[in-house]
Amino acid sequence: MPVNVGIKVEEQFESADQQRETAKLGMWAFLATELLLFSGLFLTALVTRVLHPDSVTAAALHLKFWIGATNTAILICSSLTMSVAIELSRMGRQRWMVRFMVLTAMIGIIFMMLKGYEYLEDYREHVMPFLPNYRYELAGDPASRLFIDLYFITTGLHALHLTVGICLMLVMAALASREGFLENHFNRIEIVGLYWHFIDLIWMIVFPTLYLLNR
Amino acid sequence: MSPELKERLRTPILTFLALQALLGTNVLLGIFFLGNRIWIVEVFIAAAMVAIVILFAMEALKDPPLTRLFAAIGFCWVAILFALTMVDYATR
Repeated sequence: MPVNVGIKVEEQFESADQQRETAKLGMWAFLATELLLFSGLFLTALVTRVLHPDSVTAAALHLKFWIGATNTAILICSSLTMSVAIELSRMGRQRWMVRFMVLTAMIGIIFMMLKGYEYLEDYREHVMPFLPNYRYELAGDPASRLFIDLYFITTGLHALHLTVGICLMLVMAALASREGFLENHFNRIEIVGLYWHFIDLIWMIVFPTLYLLNR
Repeated sequence: MSPELKERLRTPILTFLALQALLGTNVLLGIFFLGNRIWIVEVFIAAAMVAIVILFAMEALKDPPLTRLFAAIGFCWVAILFALTMVDYATR
């Protein structure tokens, strides 16, 4: 049964539209800083590639290309379920919206499980140069360590962001399931959606930067 | 499914299909070695995926001009970061 949707206007705003646009603007400003954070890592990957092309290619061939590609497809699926949740929130379909938010978080957890499996395979194949007293497969090529270390830093930072996104999604789903949420705060689903789409977007850059271009 | 919901889900579903198709193309390009310059196509496809997410999934197209400006400025800073750094490395 659809409910009415709206925004409870806080005293500092003139209208619900102004409050909604301000919230979006604030989230975009935050996402711009996040973009710059990740861009430093992408730039480092490019510089490493320019300086040590052979070492980077040798290291990149040890990455699990198919897991990276599958994870990209998984995140695109989560983007769809998030968009569906946003549309359902606008229509006041509270119950189905919450279901799609939980589904989005579940898809995020599948991504994390695959990522964990990938790290485990990296460990088994001795592609963790930062571990003390543990043989490194490409020990004869010191420059390859730069790329492998960068791979773990970048994917680890992304995983941290996704973990925050999953927690945020589950907390918001719990809040959004309460009576009266959509009547007063329907735009909060859009804001969480922006963050979620941004995490997907970052992975869409991580995948070609680390897995694809260096093959 | 109500006609309104069908109409609302059109853009998300088309966005999803476009992103999966572009990913599939990039994966195929990654599997089959098609020359030294193929990375240009791969970068172009990745950029197209990013643009689709921003414009349609994140709905920047529907946002007011100020919000769009904020979104664009983020990428302008990234462009400056890359341009200045790579000019240094490319001219050494």
